[in-house]
Amino acid sequence: MRSARRRRFVGQLDVMEVVYRVYVAAIFGAIVLSLIAGAVNDAHVSDHAVESLADHGPALLGIAVALAVFAGLRSGARGGPLAIEDAEVQYVLLAPIDRAAALRSSALRQLRIATLGGAVLGAVAGNFAFRRLPGSPVEWLACLAAFGAAVPLCTLGSALLASGRRLRPAVAGSIGALLVAWSLADVALGTKTSPATMLGVLATLPLQSGTVALGSALGLTIAAAAGLAGLLSLGGLSLEAARRRATLTAQLRFSASVQDLRAVVLLRRQLASESPRRRPWVRLRDPALGSRPIWRRGWQSILRWPAARLGRVLAVGAVAGLLAAATWSGTTPLIALAGIALLIAALDLVEPLAQEVDHPLRRDLVPVRPASLIQQHLVAPVATMSVVTLFGTLTAVALGSAATAAGVGAVMIVPTAFVLLCCAALSATNDPYAYLLVPQIGYMQTALPIVVAMIAVAAPVLAARAAADSGGSAVGAAALVEAVLLGVAAIMAAWLGQRVAGRTVVKP
Amino acid sequence: MIVGIEEQSATAPILVARGLGRKYEGFMALGSFAVEVQAGEMIALVGPNGAGKTTFLTIAAGLLEPTSGKLEVNGAPAGSIDARRAVSYLPDTPVFYDDLSLGEHLEYVGALHGVADGGARAGQLLERLGLESWRDSMASEFSHGMRQKASIALALVRPFSILLADEPFDGLDPPSREVLFELLKEAREGGAAVVVSTHRGDVVGSADRCLALRDGRLAYDGPPDEAAIAEFFDAV
Repeated sequence: MRSARRRRFVGQLDVMEVVYRVYVAAIFGAIVLSLIAGAVNDAHVSDHAVESLADHGPALLGIAVALAVFAGLRSGARGGPLAIEDAEVQYVLLAPIDRAAALRSSALRQLRIATLGGAVLGAVAGNFAFRRLPGSPVEWLACLAAFGAAVPLCTLGSALLASGRRLRPAVAGSIGALLVAWSLADVALGTKTSPATMLGVLATLPLQSGTVALGSALGLTIAAAAGLAGLLSLGGLSLEAARRRATLTAQLRFSASVQDLRAVVLLRRQLASESPRRRPWVRLRDPALGSRPIWRRGWQSILRWPAARLGRVLAVGAVAGLLAAATWSGTTPLIALAGIALLIAALDLVEPLAQEVDHPLRRDLVPVRPASLIQQHLVAPVATMSVVTLFGTLTAVALGSAATAAGVGAVMIVPTAFVLLCCAALSATNDPYAYLLVPQIGYMQTALPIVVAMIAVAAPVLAARAAADSGGSAVGAAALVEAVLLGVAAIMAAWLGQRVAGRTVVKP
Repeated sequence: MIVGIEEQSATAPILVARGLGRKYEGFMALGSFAVEVQAGEMIALVGPNGAGKTTFLTIAAGLLEPTSGKLEVNGAPAGSIDARRAVSYLPDTPVFYDDLSLGEHLEYVGALHGVADGGARAGQLLERLGLESWRDSMASEFSHGMRQKASIALALVRPFSILLADEPFDGLDPPSREVLFELLKEAREGGAAVVVSTHRGDVVGSADRCLALRDGRLAYDGPPDEAAIAEFFDAV
């Protein structure tokens, strides 16, 4: 019956549509690769930098791996990573057959796709690494492809294991946190003892030697064991979690297919069981901001954030700082990722404003001009986003040249936060169904906030770096760019107000 | 068609729930629920919205885990492979694969439950439910009533010792309601236990026993005495 379903699915595919998609993806991929290749500096890094990368790289990469496993364990504790159809739960998983056997093929498919995708990405990274670092192309391609395959293998394996063993979220989170702490200890102590760090050794294998290099084999073995253990525990999956996940995943896929980022954010929160706290972290006293109810409402929303969201947003800030520091030292393309990461944090922060857009009738019945309402909703999120960008600055200060990073970061904190919030607000106010008949415009509408966010983070950093390289003032160059960005943010805020005002449901 | 009956003694209950409870964040959907269901018994499960009827049925089907107590079907824990063999669950919202026809659904479900002559039973059910001309149509594209009838056929095409039906009469036209009534009676006469969650007085009247739930607790367990049920609903 499964083969009949596959045949029917294939039969329904429009061959020309598939060919067109492959063609567009190939062109897009080629452009991105050539842009990255052009942006990566081909000059070899200094001996000191190579030594530093060999010593500290594995542990830093280990933190990223540990965080991925942490996320996998949390997802597994909530029924992930498999997304099973509702009908599959009702008819197959309730039938008197071995559940592990019934689920194995979809688990294997997910593992196959993830490891293959990871290996390809790793190989692409290897293609850039060998141009700057000592070691042969084959060595770099092979070890980074293996690293790329191992990370999703251990992440998905951990998720399947947590799901199959029905670990409670608190237990799964604790195991993940221990792993992250172990990797952090490796960074602090300069050791390579954590399994995640051992995978980091694999990623830098051409720079390693002796017994340290052997650790990579152990890391790879542990990743494979995690994948195998996950597959062996498939049958223990909780049907309750599977049904909940099936419904949400179907909605998530649909929302993603129409580029409805707002719905994606909301559904992702539901998938992660990320509900606001019943008791806020701090209860606002009655007179506080009494004359500014919209600001107060914004703070109330943020003060009810669950710990996971709070931790995630601050971690995103730290990652952005790390990427900015890496950009400063020569790996330019990474700054694009910093912009995207900060935009993701901003999408969480823009919640109070987004809810006004979600409920236009309630918004329009308030005796406040819609434009003013929306603009006032930016205040609390911009202030909080500034804390996130401050975190990024502190991370960059810790990793790079302290004085320059502190100066450039200080100039960036508030204006960049303002632009990023405007980008997130723009995304949240997008109507995903406005351009269904002209999807190209819809794609542009979705891409615009992402592109502006990338520019808002990249422009000041790159301008400061260029000024520093030519002997000028890095802080001065960044300040000049930020002044322009402040103007852009002001225009965006005004546009946002007008955009929402134009959609009023209740006519005066 | 009914499995497991021959293995049981005449008095062994098919379903036993003891101290069954289910809590959602601060809300008790079901609390200290205890019940025994005998083979060949037809039970009407009544109660206002949110009383815990669906929670009980989904726990019994193995789809939901209780937060306290236990539930066994034919002596096996709910959700275990033996319990799944014995329980047929008819959900309140029909569920279908997007890419299988109704006939393929029946064939698939029958095969999963080891039915050798699934075709004959499926044909009979489709005919009685007025779905024979829809066998090759995609079930996911049916209207509300048709989906409900297709879901009934899927619940009955396989063998079972106990049928758990959640609001099965909703969305059916009067002739289809009659057919479903007959099918439920036949299942009971065949030795299976039938538990039907319903708001319909005629269904309650034809049951052997009535369980009334209120705020997650068992408020009435006895014969479908009209006066007692009316008193219960008045109190609600």
